[in-house]
Amino acid sequence: MLAFVQVLASGVAIGCVYGLVALSFVLIYKATETVSFMQGDLLMLGAFAALGLHAFAGWPLVVAALAAVLAVGGLGAVLERTVLRRALGQPHLVAVLLTFGLGMMMRGGVASVPAAAQDMHRLPFAADTLAIGPLVLATSHLWVITATVLLAGVLAAFFRHTRTGLALRACSEDARSAALMGIPVARMHTLAWALGAALAAIAGLLLAPITFVHLNMGFIALKAFPAAVLGGLTSLPGALVAGVFLGVAEALAGLALPEGAKDFVPYVLLMAALLLFPQGLGGGRGRA
Amino acid sequence: MSAALSRGAGAAVRAALPWLAVLLLALAWLGTDYALGKATLVATYAIAGLGVVVVVGQAGQIALGQAALVALGAYAQALLVARGVPAPLALPAAAAAGALGGALASLPARRLGGLYFGMSTLAFALIVEEALARWESLTYGAAGLAVGAFAFAGWRADSTLAQAAVSVAALALALLACARLLASRHGRAWRAVRDDELAAAACGIDTDAAKMQAFVVGGALSGLAGGLYAHWIGFISPEQFGLVFSFELLMLAFIGGARRIAGAAWGALVIVAIPPLISLLRDRLPGDWARASGLELLLFGAVIVAVVLLRPAGLAGGGQGR
Repeated sequence: MLAFVQVLASGVAIGCVYGLVALSFVLIYKATETVSFMQGDLLMLGAFAALGLHAFAGWPLVVAALAAVLAVGGLGAVLERTVLRRALGQPHLVAVLLTFGLGMMMRGGVASVPAAAQDMHRLPFAADTLAIGPLVLATSHLWVITATVLLAGVLAAFFRHTRTGLALRACSEDARSAALMGIPVARMHTLAWALGAALAAIAGLLLAPITFVHLNMGFIALKAFPAAVLGGLTSLPGALVAGVFLGVAEALAGLALPEGAKDFVPYVLLMAALLLFPQGLGGGRGRA
Repeated sequence: MSAALSRGAGAAVRAALPWLAVLLLALAWLGTDYALGKATLVATYAIAGLGVVVVVGQAGQIALGQAALVALGAYAQALLVARGVPAPLALPAAAAAGALGGALASLPARRLGGLYFGMSTLAFALIVEEALARWESLTYGAAGLAVGAFAFAGWRADSTLAQAAVSVAALALALLACARLLASRHGRAWRAVRDDELAAAACGIDTDAAKMQAFVVGGALSGLAGGLYAHWIGFISPEQFGLVFSFELLMLAFIGGARRIAGAAWGALVIVAIPPLISLLRDRLPGDWARASGLELLLFGAVIVAVVLLRPAGLAGGGQGR
C-alpha cells in the first residue's frame, strides 16, 4: 500500500510535467492553428538557461529560474514575429517542419556549448525526502505537484478574469469575429507563442529535479502528444488532466506490467483513445 | 492508347534527361564508387519519400511516422532473407509489411483526419521503434541485425554499380506504378479528398476508405524502400528509423513539391546531399566552431527552416497539377 502511494505520487509528479507541456502545445494550437514540434526543445532550453544563469553566472536560483522562463517566453514571441507567423493559414506540414527545424537548431545550439553537451547536470533543488509517518515522499515530487496546481490556478484566473485572457480565448474560438470585435489578433498570436514557450520552460524547470538537466530531456515532450490528444486537442484543462492521468497510468504500468511495457503505455492509450473516444476523454465538453 | 503511351514515354525521357546530367556530373566530380553509392541512396530514399508524397501530397493527410514503415519493410526483408528467401521474392513481403503498418497506423484516426493522422502515425512509429528494440528473440534488439547482399539465383549485387542499377530500376517501377495509380479512380479520389473532403463525400467518394488506401499505398512504397535499404546498408537497428528519419522523409516530400511524384527524386537528392555538404562547410569553419558537436544539428535545422521559409511550396513548385 505504501509503495503504491509512493508510485502514485511520482506518477502524478511526472504527469504534471506531461500535462504542462501538453497545455503549452494546446494553447498554441488553439490560438494560432499551428502545430508546435519544438515544445520539448523549449523545455530543454529553459532548464539549461536557468542552470547556466545559476551555476555559471552565479545568480540566485529563484532569479535565474524566473529569468530563464521570461527569456524563453521572449524567444517564443520573437520567433513568432519573425518566422512562425509565415506558417499561419498554411497546411499543418509547414508549421510541423518549421518548428521541428527550429527545435533542431536549439538542440544543436545547446550541444555546441561544450559544458552543456558533456553530461547531466543537476539544479540544486531540495533532493531530500519528506516522511509522513511511515510514508516517504520525494520533496521534488511535492514541489512539482504544488507548482503545477498554483500555475493552473494562475492560468485559470488569467483566462477568466483578465481582458487579455478573454481576448486570447476569443481568438481561439473564432479569430475572424475576434478581429471584428477589435481584438488585435496578430498580437494575441505573439502572446500565445510567448505563453506556450514560457510554459514549456516552466515544465523544464519542474522536470529538472526529477530527471536532471541534459540534452535529450526534451524527448519527454513526445509524451505530451498523447496527453493533448486524450484531452481532446482543444481543451486546456483537458490537456493538464490527461497529462496527470498518463503519468499515473505509466507509473502503475511500471508496477503491474512486465519490464518495458511502461514505455508503450502512452502511445497505446493514444491510439485506443482515438479509436474509442474520438472526441477526447472529456467528450469534447472541455473549455478553456 | 499507343499515342498516350508514346506521349508518356516522351515525358519519361524528358524527365530522365536532367537526371542523366546530374549522374554524369557526379561521376566526373566525386568518383565512380562514391557517386554510384550516393545514387543508390538517392533512389532508395526517393521510393520511401514517394510513400510520403502519396499520403501528404496526394491525399492531403499528415504522416509523422513514415520511418517506422521503412523499418517494418527493412526488418521483414532482413528476417526473410536470413531464412533463405531470395531477395527479390522477399521484397513484396517487405512492401506488404509496410502496407499493413500504414493501415494500422492510420486506422485510429480514419474518421478524424488531418492532425489526428499525424498523432496516430507518430504513436505507431514510437510503438514500432520500441517493439523492435524490445523483441530481442526476433530482432536482436538494439544490437541490430546484419543483412546479406541482394542476391538472386547465384547473382549478387555486390558492386556499387549493381546496387545502383537495382535501386534505380525499383524507383522507375515505383514511379510508373504511382503514375498509373494517380491517373486512376483512386488517385482522383485522393485529390478530391485533399482539395475538399465534404465535396468529395458529396460526389459519392468513400472518404474514409480513400484516406486508408493512401496510407496503405504509401506504406507499401516505404516498406519496399526499407527492403532495399536493408541490403545497401547491410546492418539495421531500431534507432536508424527514428523520428529524425521520418522528418527527413517529410522534408524530402516537401522539397520535391509534395504534389508531384517526380519531385520525390529531387527531394531525395537534396536530403542525401545535405550531410556531406554540411561536413564540407564544417571543415571550412575556423577553430573551435568546427569541433562543436552540435554544429551539424544546428546547420541541418537551419536548412530545414530556410527551405520552408524560402519556398513554402517546395522546390519543384506546388501549384497546380498532380
